[in-house]
Amino acid sequence: MSKNVSRSTFNNYFKISGLILLIAGIVLKYMSTLESFKGKTASWNINASIYDLPIFLAVIGIFLLLKGLMAKSEGEDIVFSGKNFGGFLTNNAILLAMFVLVVIICIKNPKFMQVKVALDILTQASPKLIMALGICFTLLIAGTDLSAGRMVGLAAVISASMLQTATYANRFFPDMPQVQVWLPIVLAIGACMLFGALNGFLVAKYDMHPFIATLATQVIIFGTCSLYFDMEPNSSQPIGGVRPDFKAIGQMKFLAEKSIKNFTMNWFADGKGFPGISILIPIAIIICVIIWFVLNKTVFGKNVYAIGGNREAAVVAGISVFKNIMGIFILASCLYGIAGVLEAARTAGANNDYGNGYELDAIAACVVGGVSLNGGVGRVRGIIMGVLIFAIIQYGLQFLHISPMWQQVIKGVIIAVAVAIDLTKYRRK
Amino acid sequence: MRKYFFVAVLLFSVMFTGISDAGELKIGSCIYTFNDAFMTRYRNAMADEAKKAGVELQIMDSQNSQSLQDEQVDELIEAGLNVLILNPVDRMEAGNLIEKAKAANIPVVFINRQPVAEVLSNYDRAFYVGSLAEESGRFSGEIIVDYFKAHPEADKDHNGKIEFIMLKGENGHQDMIARSKYSVEAIEKSGIFKPVELGSALANWDKFMAMTIMNAFIMSIGTDEIEAVIANNDEMALGAVEALKANDFNTGDPEKFIPVVGVDGNPAAIEAMKNHEIIGTVLQDAETCGSVAVKLAVALAQNKTPDKNITGYELIDGRYFWIPYKKKTEGE
Repeated sequence: MSKNVSRSTFNNYFKISGLILLIAGIVLKYMSTLESFKGKTASWNINASIYDLPIFLAVIGIFLLLKGLMAKSEGEDIVFSGKNFGGFLTNNAILLAMFVLVVIICIKNPKFMQVKVALDILTQASPKLIMALGICFTLLIAGTDLSAGRMVGLAAVISASMLQTATYANRFFPDMPQVQVWLPIVLAIGACMLFGALNGFLVAKYDMHPFIATLATQVIIFGTCSLYFDMEPNSSQPIGGVRPDFKAIGQMKFLAEKSIKNFTMNWFADGKGFPGISILIPIAIIICVIIWFVLNKTVFGKNVYAIGGNREAAVVAGISVFKNIMGIFILASCLYGIAGVLEAARTAGANNDYGNGYELDAIAACVVGGVSLNGGVGRVRGIIMGVLIFAIIQYGLQFLHISPMWQQVIKGVIIAVAVAIDLTKYRRK
Repeated sequence: MRKYFFVAVLLFSVMFTGISDAGELKIGSCIYTFNDAFMTRYRNAMADEAKKAGVELQIMDSQNSQSLQDEQVDELIEAGLNVLILNPVDRMEAGNLIEKAKAANIPVVFINRQPVAEVLSNYDRAFYVGSLAEESGRFSGEIIVDYFKAHPEADKDHNGKIEFIMLKGENGHQDMIARSKYSVEAIEKSGIFKPVELGSALANWDKFMAMTIMNAFIMSIGTDEIEAVIANNDEMALGAVEALKANDFNTGDPEKFIPVVGVDGNPAAIEAMKNHEIIGTVLQDAETCGSVAVKLAVALAQNKTPDKNITGYELIDGRYFWIPYKKKTEGE
């Protein structure tokens, strides 16, 4: 039972399904503006049952349409068979599971289908993505980084402690002048990079396993951060009173002006106009592009894969393992530092427990995104998917008010299943 | 290397003789962790009171480990201290600590984490200084009720019900249970409003987590429905405020305001209250607690009967000194 289909026909499937979705979206949107469907009886209001679904359908439709139009029409035929179908299922099992879950959430609480919810999920995923991109370097060389979460806390505490308003009653440094906003940020990230260098030094110089080296650093960082946090007059009080210009780095929104809101008033189901795009999203995108470039287009990136794939071969090929490992841990810690600063800015405060356990979330996201713990395998695209999957599922479960204990169970199951599928894939190859 | 070791040994011996040679009355204390904002205020208050009373106070950091604390208590008893002030890591393990003190016939004052009543009654020189967690819950409920009395428009649908979100602390924590329960009960007991829980979640006392969760509540329930936010501590209250602010609420526009209440009275929360971002918080009086604990310890070491003359508070059930919480609202 198999059927051969040529590339161009296959692409046509994409075009057709994309077109159908786009048209369905437009029709639904048109229907929702009609008075007869607005539900004068209030018993059935189309907007309250589909929300921004038409917009999502249209966006997915356009995406599929473009995919069909852009794809090459030459090449091997596509074979539809039971075996290939099975392969497709295992390759995309987590994505499919997520899709099913999203559909269930949308049915249980249609409010999930809103553009502002989608943007909110992206906002929450952004700092996590930055962390995951950092930690992926250490995973690519078959290592790990347990100090990542504590570095986030360190950067958050340092930056917030130096960027409080002059009038705040309980300032960390009572006599500190209002310095340029970038200075404490650079200091905070610099402190993280210093500890990153320590990680790299321990691993590269003494050939220490990254698990142990970063465990040691993790404890040192937390202790140092706690000592700093406990200094007089702060004495372990949560840091607040953060300056508005610093807060803006984490809370600012683009395209959220009144005029845009008024112009787009009727575009979205809640009637409040476009909610704006959080600054965190473009920051994460820029970092993604940079990291993609570093991994794929630079000698350093090639070296990372080489060291992770076969360390001995890399040494023989004349790659300086010491320099590259130092580079890896310093670059990773720089990204954790950025994530920490953004976290402090976004929550307008910090305490020394910030970032606790984040490294495990980041590792889990990487692994679900196809990064191998054996090193040498992993792509930026996969990491983005991994982070998004976790962000969507976590947000969705919270949205349905599922108990946090169940959320943890589900998270654990996802990690186990994802890695199990991944490993079977490699074994088959 | 050997030289440094020798110097270190010398330094240590000087430190220890320093302890055993000093003043007459010595208090030994273990705090469950130095890494806790409230307990830091608490131990600073203890140190101040000890200075005032002219007694020596040695405070140890138990680093959130009960087994480490057990060892520290042994060390303190060995060192010949006259009285102990203990903040157990695990309140259920306090029996062990009492046995140690009893064997050495040293009086012991437990603080902040309350041992089980039967365990405390095993030793006639064991006491407890703390605050009633249910009181903090009751006060935060009362702050909400007072606010709704003063601002009838806060009941958006005018149905006499307060539809609230509850942000809870760590799962199973004594304070989390009591604060969640009694804040709701206080609203119910007001007889004016009925509490209706729209949603509740465990946010582990954490600001960032509370912010994330509150955001999800705002998206899934909507700001039109939510009439109040009750948080088990200030950090979570402030996290909720950040989520509200991101949705243009609680930024100064009285039309767009959802009352939020916390517990702890930490400086950031007091500041937020002044900026009209939260309506109030409940202050646990670390300063009074710390000073009462030291006063009580000194009296016990001198074999005086602990009573109101010494601590300023009534002795309840022969074992307990309850230090009241304080409401902090914009008016007060």
